[in-house]
Parts: sequence; structure tokens; C-alpha cells
Amino acid sequence: MSKTAPNYKTNKTKSQLTAESIRQKLKLKHLEAANALKNAHPHVQKFLEEKGLGIDKLRQHSAKILGTGILASGILLHPPLSVDILPSSEELFKNFSISEKAKEKLYEGSAIAGAKEMLTSTFSSFLPQTVRPLYRNEEKFLENIVTNLTGVKVKATLEGEHLNTIYGRIGAEQHLRRYPGDTLTQHGDSEDQAEGMAPGLGAWGYFAPDSTSLTDDLVETEKWYAVVQTLYLSDWNTRQPYLKNWYKYRKVMIVNTENGNAVVAAIADSGPAAWTGKHYGGSPEVMDHLGGSRYKKGPVLVFFVDDPTNEVPLGPVDYESVSLDKLVSLEYE
Amino acid sequence: MSKLFFDKYISLSKLEKTFSQLEATLEEKHELWQLVDEIIHHRVLNCILTELPKKNHEEFLVKLHSAPHSEDLLVYLKEKIVKDIDTFLSMEIKSIENEILKDLVGTKKSKHEK
Repeated sequence: MSKTAPNYKTNKTKSQLTAESIRQKLKLKHLEAANALKNAHPHVQKFLEEKGLGIDKLRQHSAKILGTGILASGILLHPPLSVDILPSSEELFKNFSISEKAKEKLYEGSAIAGAKEMLTSTFSSFLPQTVRPLYRNEEKFLENIVTNLTGVKVKATLEGEHLNTIYGRIGAEQHLRRYPGDTLTQHGDSEDQAEGMAPGLGAWGYFAPDSTSLTDDLVETEKWYAVVQTLYLSDWNTRQPYLKNWYKYRKVMIVNTENGNAVVAAIADSGPAAWTGKHYGGSPEVMDHLGGSRYKKGPVLVFFVDDPTNEVPLGPVDYESVSLDKLVSLEYE
Repeated sequence: MSKLFFDKYISLSKLEKTFSQLEATLEEKHELWQLVDEIIHHRVLNCILTELPKKNHEEFLVKLHSAPHSEDLLVYLKEKIVKDIDTFLSMEIKSIENEILKDLVGTKKSKHEK
């Protein structure tokens, strides 16, 4: 790097930057950009004002339109009594082609590979190519398939709560500090430590007040943690502290739609930013299990785990517990 | 879920990394992300409207208002704009990221110089 090149990569620089100093710079840049647009194209502001839309609210406006569109389409396609007329998972299932490879694996008695093949085959037939919020009947169908093939009861809507989308992109996150003084070396093996430690805390702060209070459960919670965009929930600001408590360490199942790998994780942070193009995040261990050590980003389904008695363990989903009979009966019912 | 038609051009990995290193509360980080997002909206719109013939401005804004997420907007812009939109939008967004990073380094330098 040349001596004159911006040296924003050094730790020294990072440590001198504060949220407030960045905020001030961004505010200036924001004003500059808004004025430039206003001066160059004054009619734009007039037009948008007439429509009651500010450029600053473009993303919220999009969320509102997408949400309304999904709802309206759902009502048109499936009027209020839609639950009664929704096709069963078996009905829908028959409409999708299961790959020959999956069938062979089922007949060979390889239940684990068969279940995964069946899931990925279903996903590739059923899911749209680009991630988007799914319709209620699509969610219902996927809930049934995933519940049947993994043996874990999952829900897109649990106790009335629903994420903005259950089909999105996940990105790799760093380890979270579990208690004051926690160090990276305490987190898994060297491969798990490669992602580093987030300098800030998770959305719910430390997991424990000190190292002696860190229970095995909390160790597992950090190890298998998930990040979801709670801040973009339309009712996040109006339903506090209920929502913050409801989402804290809430179990979710994350399924890699490309290979069927699935993990049960606990929500322990909020993000990522909308502009990153990602909708969820996963701890180094979660990402490693979903797609291997080089897996940094990809499409996934995220469901709440319906586990009122806290029996489902965090970590990789054990396909071995799925009976072969169930898989075969699902296909031919 | 929120999506804008130009989201696929947004790649801000360096900025994302810088923000992730900050010791900031969730609310503070969210505000920073939002500011960056809004800067991009202003700059991208400015860039598009500068290239788009003025007679098409209103039609574009009507389409933007009714479906800001729709990729049809890109199809429309590709028909009306001579320049390669993929290239100039990617370049504009990359340029915004570099400017912000440069500003942040400037902050650090001026503090250091003091």
C-alpha cells in the first residue's frame, strides 16, 4: 500500500472511529447528496411530495408496498377461509418432481441423504429463484415438509409473531462476547475462531455477567446463534419490551436451500442492514454447518421452532432421527 | 422485507467491515446504516435522472412510486438510457463507498494531527 493511500484498514484507525464521529460525517454527506438532487432535479421533490413520499422513506415505502401486495394477493387467491382450501402438503408434494437421485437414496435405505435430497429437490421445484417474502400457503407447505423431513416442529408464524421474510440470504457473523473479559480463544477451535470476535455486543448485551455465571446452555446459545432483522419489523418500536423479550434467544431452524443442511439456532443479535442484501446472520459454527468453512452467504429458510418445553437442542439437525418409512410414505401418500 | 430495484448493485463490504468493528449500540449502528442507505438513494436517483431524458422523468417517478422494488424499472431504464446502467450504477455506488471511507479516514487524520 502506498504511503498516501487511505489507511482505513489499520486497527489504530478503527479504534479512533466512534459511532458519533461517523454519524456526523454521514449527516453532512446526506445533506450534500439531498441538496445535489434537489438542485439538479427540483421537480422530483415536488412530484414525490405530492405523492406523500420522501426519498428518505423509499425503503419503508417499498416494504409497505411489498407487504400490502403479498397480503392482497393472498386474499385474492385465498379468501378469509383460506386455511380450509389450502392444499395439503401431500397434495402440493405430488406436484413436485423428486429427483431420481433422491429416490435412489431412499430405496438404498440412506434416510439422511434421502431426506436432504428430498428437501433440496422440493426447494428447487418450489422456491422462487430470487429470495422474497413467501405467501402464507407457500409458508404452510414448507413448514409441513421441513417438519416431516427433519422431525422438528417448525412454524413461520409462532404465537402471532412473524419475521419480515422467512426466505432470504444469510451472511457470516463473528463470535459474540459472552461476558466482560471474554476472549476469542475461549470460542471453539482455531477454525471457529478464524471469523474473529465482534467488538460490540449482541443486541441483548452480554450472555452472562461474568465467566462463573456462564452456563453450558449459554455457551451453546452463543455457539449456535442467529441474527434476524428485528429492527425492520413494522411493530418493533411500538411493542416493546414484549418483542425484545420474545425474540431473545428464540429458537429458529435455518435450512440451507441449496444442500438441505439445517441448524437449530438461538436469536442473539439484530441485523444485518437492509442494504447488505442479507436478511439473517449466523455464528461461525452455524455457517460452518450450513455450508462449510468457506460458506459466507447464501439463500436459506428460517422458521421458528415450536418448542414450548425446551426439548429441541441447539446445533445441527439430526436427520438420522427421521424414519425412512415416513419419507417413503410422504412421497407416495 | 424491503427491496429497491437497484439493491443488486449495492456492495459495501469495506464499509460493512468498518461498521462491524465499531463499539456501538444496536440503535447507533442502525442509524449509521440508515444514513448510508439514504445517501445511496439520493445519489442513485440523481445519477439516473441525469442520464434519463427529461421527458421520461415523470413516467419513471410514477413507476418508482408504484413499485420501487420492481426489476421492471431496470428494464425501463435500460430502454431509455444510452449508457450501460449496470456499469454506471455499480460505479456510482462504489464511488459513494470510497468517498465515505475517505471521509472517515479524514476524521481520523485530523484528530491525529491535533
